[in-house]
Amino acid sequence: MKQIVELTLNGEPREMAAEGHRSLLDCLREELGLTGTKKGCDVGDCGACTVFVDGQPINACLMLAVEARGRTVETVEGLRPEGDVLHPLQEAFMRHGASQCGFCTPGILMMARKLLEENPDPTDAEIRFGLSGNICRCTGYTKIFDAVRSAARDIRQAGQQEATS
Amino acid sequence: MRRFAYHEPATLEDASRLLTDLGDDAHVFAGGTDLLVEIRERLRRVSDVVNIKSIPGMSDITWDEATGLTFGALVTARQLETLRGVQETYPNFAEALRQLGSIQVRGRATVVGNICRASPSADTIPPLIADRAIIHIYSPRGMRRIPLAEFFTGPGRTVLARGEIATGIVVPPPARQSGRAYIKHGRRKAMELATVGVAVSLERDGDRCLEARIALGAVGPVVLRAAGAEAILKGADLTDETLARAGEAAMADCTPISNVRASADYRRNMVGVLTRRALRTAMEANA
Amino acid sequence: MNKLTRPLQNDFRIIGKSVKREDVIEKVTGEGTYVADLKPAGMLYGKIKRADVAHARIKRIDVSRALAYPGVKAVLTHGDVPRVLHYGSPHPRSASCTRDQYILDDRVRFWGEGVAAVAAISEEIADEALDLVEVEYEELPAVFTPEEAMKPGAPLIHDVGPGGNLVLDPVKVERGDVDKGFAEADFILEGEYSGGRPVPAYMEPNVCLADWDGAGKLTFWTSTQTSFMVRGILAEVLGLPVNKVRVLVDHMGGGFGAKQDCFQHEFLCALLARATRRPVRMEFTRRETFVAGRSRHPFKLWLKQGFRNEGTLTAREMKIVYDSGAYGSHTPGVTIVGTTSATSLYRCENVRLEGRGVYTNMPIAGAFRGYGVVQTYFALDIQMDEAAVRLGMDPAALKLKNAVRDGDIAPSGHAIIGRGLEACIQTGAARFDWSAVRTQNRRPDRARPHLRKGWGLGCEMHGSSAYPGIKEQGNALLKVNEDGSVTLMTGAAGLGTGAHTALAQIAAEELGVPFKSVSVVHGDTDAVPWDIGAFASHTTYLVGSATRMAAAEARLAILERAAEKLQTTAKRLTIFDGVIHPTDAPDQGLTVAEAMGPSKGIPAANILGRGTYEPTKSYSFAAHFVEVTVDTETGLVEVDRVLPVHDVGKVIHPIAAQGQIEGGIQQGIGHTLTEDYIVDPETGRSLNAGLVDYKMPLSMDMPDIDTVILEAAPDPGGPWGAKGVGEDPIIAIGPAIANAIFDAIGVRFRHYPITPEDVLNALANKEAHDAGA
Repeated sequence: MKQIVELTLNGEPREMAAEGHRSLLDCLREELGLTGTKKGCDVGDCGACTVFVDGQPINACLMLAVEARGRTVETVEGLRPEGDVLHPLQEAFMRHGASQCGFCTPGILMMARKLLEENPDPTDAEIRFGLSGNICRCTGYTKIFDAVRSAARDIRQAGQQEATS
Repeated sequence: MRRFAYHEPATLEDASRLLTDLGDDAHVFAGGTDLLVEIRERLRRVSDVVNIKSIPGMSDITWDEATGLTFGALVTARQLETLRGVQETYPNFAEALRQLGSIQVRGRATVVGNICRASPSADTIPPLIADRAIIHIYSPRGMRRIPLAEFFTGPGRTVLARGEIATGIVVPPPARQSGRAYIKHGRRKAMELATVGVAVSLERDGDRCLEARIALGAVGPVVLRAAGAEAILKGADLTDETLARAGEAAMADCTPISNVRASADYRRNMVGVLTRRALRTAMEANA
Repeated sequence: MNKLTRPLQNDFRIIGKSVKREDVIEKVTGEGTYVADLKPAGMLYGKIKRADVAHARIKRIDVSRALAYPGVKAVLTHGDVPRVLHYGSPHPRSASCTRDQYILDDRVRFWGEGVAAVAAISEEIADEALDLVEVEYEELPAVFTPEEAMKPGAPLIHDVGPGGNLVLDPVKVERGDVDKGFAEADFILEGEYSGGRPVPAYMEPNVCLADWDGAGKLTFWTSTQTSFMVRGILAEVLGLPVNKVRVLVDHMGGGFGAKQDCFQHEFLCALLARATRRPVRMEFTRRETFVAGRSRHPFKLWLKQGFRNEGTLTAREMKIVYDSGAYGSHTPGVTIVGTTSATSLYRCENVRLEGRGVYTNMPIAGAFRGYGVVQTYFALDIQMDEAAVRLGMDPAALKLKNAVRDGDIAPSGHAIIGRGLEACIQTGAARFDWSAVRTQNRRPDRARPHLRKGWGLGCEMHGSSAYPGIKEQGNALLKVNEDGSVTLMTGAAGLGTGAHTALAQIAAEELGVPFKSVSVVHGDTDAVPWDIGAFASHTTYLVGSATRMAAAEARLAILERAAEKLQTTAKRLTIFDGVIHPTDAPDQGLTVAEAMGPSKGIPAANILGRGTYEPTKSYSFAAHFVEVTVDTETGLVEVDRVLPVHDVGKVIHPIAAQGQIEGGIQQGIGHTLTEDYIVDPETGRSLNAGLVDYKMPLSMDMPDIDTVILEAAPDPGGPWGAKGVGEDPIIAIGPAIANAIFDAIGVRFRHYPITPEDVLNALANKEAHDAGA
């Protein structure tokens, strides 16, 4: 029996139809067509399905869709601030070669976004810890670290420019 | 069964009744980071999940100097991990939290859920046992509380009867001169299941040990207290030699098995090494 | 090389620069379409029932209850599917693969093999229906090691092949006079080396989507590296002409070689779609990527080499046995390439090699980055390190002395070009401060005396292309559109390496147009030229060359058209940054768009350039310098830093090349220290088919990597001398780590993975041995 679940998704009110046993991940992908969030393992071991729920990064595979009722959910599709503009992390990932096959990228971008929101000037160790729940098999992580550092700088500089303008 | 029925009771009474009435394949659903995995991997038959996250009164975290730290069954690992108070007062517990699963998992996983899953390798259990935590349980016949050390009866098994629900944990305040540590042994630095977990809480008077509580994870059917090692330390001077002897004794206190993660011999060896290291860390810390 | 292309030049506008990868924008926005993202109307979900026994005959299989389950639309067993023996891996009629698979058989040869397939309206229902398929097995005696399988009287796993559970006839290579070489040696080293079972563990589980139209044409989306091969083998097995099968792949989530096979589930997905007349999507669970995927070949190798006191080799004898698992897949190719690779790397005139690939009732080993050479060079490089210790020589100096070089005969039978390996070793040793680091930093850390640091070097070489095992072909079609924009059509797969960007760079460089004006069409076998697939590190080398040829042909056509408009001759014109002008008058010209567009009397142009390239082989080289720390109380080994030095001939996209190297290092560190897909040796059942107990290095486990790329030995067979790079890193890093561990604690490991238990046991043995000495 499908229930209607109303939620706020990437800033907009949405509703999805979900049976009680369906994961948030499957409903985002199959009911709402938001396929940016990926299924790498379906058991919380890889982080490819990382989304924010009420501002917390979680594995969407380990949350039931019906639990999203009344909550705020953010996915990679909502990462870009507007229209043609990309988030500094997205730009940095492209610039630094931090994405090869791209399958882990949405999950890593979401975690990196969270990391930088909480810690705008992270050390190398803090970046590694912040991304330790996301598996990448293509890049060896090196360029992901470069991209996060680079984006952190860009965000800080943009913040300073805004402050002084 | 990949499909199951979903229930969201509003009170503990309703939840308890559902669990009793729906039978053995009905399970409490809190964080879901174990339960949903077991369903997907076909490790457990689940016909019904009872979501307890709408039940009020189990989401608080409080601290006072008399009682210590109290947190409810719905408090997540991430919530506790990020509290400065927990990091400073219970660094062993904080260290265990930091290593549980991943940040994403910790955003959902509840500590009480980790405890109730009762895996011998669970990270939160050794430090809480070493700090003499108490677990509060709701049952239809009334609330009860027992020392966490008495909660486990075997791998994956607890004293909880059908219809009972754990509602929270109380961790007594640390003694004045005490130190604590938790070391998790694994082959990589994150997303690991402990091959060995050692938690140490040490109460001292200068360089003399008043009491040591050493809890060992992943080396027995439940988390064990290293009684032999503790006996050596009680009242002893905290020298390198004492620490080494305590480490040796801890090796005899455990009953590890061999599996795909490690052999029994290696685990026993690591109990010795890590007990010594955890004791040293606990010594160098302060209350 | 096609004489239309211009000679080697030094001032490049586009190649050699890390241009923005066009395909990546879709990856960072989440808009890129991977096969599992597709959900056509009416789609059904497919699932496979898997055997829980390693070797058995199916006595009875009853699907009636499954068929009756609400929501189930079709169930297939071996009686319902074409009984056609196929190659599994689709390399056509080549030496690389074995023809030993049926889609579904009445026999099971490994634990987890598929025995039935179900299509249902939801994934959950399909999964539940699997439990309703009843199978009765007659268990057969199983063999779980190559040794057992090769014993006389061992149960035979297949009725095809040379017999005795051999996948192929033993590969034998002999050069020179080995016996004389050993007789002349000052000393001989002999050892046994072995390796476990790493798996590729790509992040995107295998997935495919099949849809038939009313006219009997199959549209097949699949996450594959070899779409034309999949097309060919599907057509063959399903009894269709090739133009009735269209294979599509847009974005793909990694393959590392292992997505070259045409898997059982791909056939079954197509057949379920045909049976139900609805689209069917079949997606592996993570567990299935282990159980039914492809691993690296476990191996046992015996190596004996004769040395002179001055450090050069007099003879080399090697025997290697690869564990193929239940089916042959790429075992012939792996055995041939792996075995013959031992003719090279370190120079030796007298060589006798023997390689075997053996069937067992274990998981299927297949193509995986490094293709048999990870195994042989692990041994070869470590034994050279052992020789250095024996001689009291610096291992870098000894490896430099023996490094293969210009003119030596490579495993392919061709001459090596240049001195790339020497350049890698020398550059790395200097940058790493190798000599100083090894002599000066020996003092143990007094605060943590249980930690020991060590430094090691590992060397390798690897060929781009599968020549001579497969006669490959690279194709490119390049359209210059009427507005001057360019469309490059390539069958090359996009598994995430940045190959399409590199091809676009090559096209733009050769044409003389801005990089941004080239777009790439790929991934649809109906629309792009035939391509053998992305593997063997050959896309840049092979398809890049074809692309360059196609661009050269198009360039000439543009110049001829412009010449007509400018009333001059093509020979006097050049194209630079999209502008065509006489070479001696850069300000008198017209844009490519103007040249292509219509003008009085001449209609708009549409120019097509074509390139076909049949390569031989080029060899890339690498030297990895690593620093490790060994905890002598826990046995844990940490890799602190890696300096990989790679010669790639000519780098097209520096960041993409670095990315291949760094990713290969992550996989190689895993292989060497923590990754092993473990199967119960009594039952064949898998024990760690998941991402926690199969331990890959994560962000906190990775060392600092200082990647250096050299253009020391360009190969004229590749575009501007470019060679491959994808497989080299995973080969060099393993022996480097093993050698560094020896340097740290004086214990020589000759196997991977090197577990903490191995380290502690070896240290204990060494202590006992030293005490007794």
